[in-house]
Amino acid sequence: MTVTVIDVRERVMARNDEIARGVRERLERARAPAFNFISSPGAGKTLLLERTLDALNAQLRIAVVTGDCQTQNDADRLARHTDRLVQAVVTNGGCHLDARQIYTALGSIALDATDLLLIENVGNLVCPASWDLGERSKVVLFSVTEGEDKPLKYPNAFRAARIAIVTKLDLLPHLEFDLASALGHARAVNPALRFFLVSARTGEGMPAWLDFLRGEVAAARDDPT
Amino acid sequence: MSVAMEVCAIAERAIAGRSPSCITEVVVEVGDLAGIEIQNLEFCLDTLLRIPPFTRAHAVVRRERGDVLRVASVEIDE
Repeated sequence: MTVTVIDVRERVMARNDEIARGVRERLERARAPAFNFISSPGAGKTLLLERTLDALNAQLRIAVVTGDCQTQNDADRLARHTDRLVQAVVTNGGCHLDARQIYTALGSIALDATDLLLIENVGNLVCPASWDLGERSKVVLFSVTEGEDKPLKYPNAFRAARIAIVTKLDLLPHLEFDLASALGHARAVNPALRFFLVSARTGEGMPAWLDFLRGEVAAARDDPT
Repeated sequence: MSVAMEVCAIAERAIAGRSPSCITEVVVEVGDLAGIEIQNLEFCLDTLLRIPPFTRAHAVVRRERGDVLRVASVEIDE
């Protein structure tokens, strides 16, 4: 028996990051910004996207990729709010989407007829934070039912995101949720975070969120590169 | 778990073409800014390294500075 040490020195994310670069290049060529929505299960990603599709479908050509562990339930829900095919990625127990899955999904999306790509990641605040999908930005959601310290418990998710959306705002009067404290925790983790406070159910806060998306699409179209 | 699975995939590629009697050690370097909970990674690796082709391997997680996250080496018994 001979013990041999094989020198590897390979970055764990190297392959994913390479594919993510390819996704990002394709999306930039198409001038279609992509947003990767991450949250714990039940934070309200799907309802937010349903309302977003309802509001923007007439103005923007929106493609959707949705990831789920075992079912296509979210894809089926979203498909009722768009005429376009919703790309469902079933991860078979996998706790996040990866760049290869998005690259494959892009093969079925007419990017030259797409203004905006919305990616609903698997409900999980740990792994999705580490995986680059080639998106323009990660959007982290947390609901007022989850506790103010979510950003402190899952700092990587809040650090990786550019946008934070506090959801289920309509439930705030019924809860002992300290919104200022929650926002403070999120800012402590990532001072550059941009916040939206919404209730997808009542529509509260949705206009600002929708304006943001319209602005991102307009900026991508005007980008001279 | 997904990071641990990727670590194992890299380790398997590293021994491709060899026929070791066993893999004894997988060394992973994790920076303090890598976004990895080391205890979680160790737990997941301990689980995955019980599965063939590893079975007898153990993980060594080295804490580093910065955002490094890589498989440093794989030790095999030939």
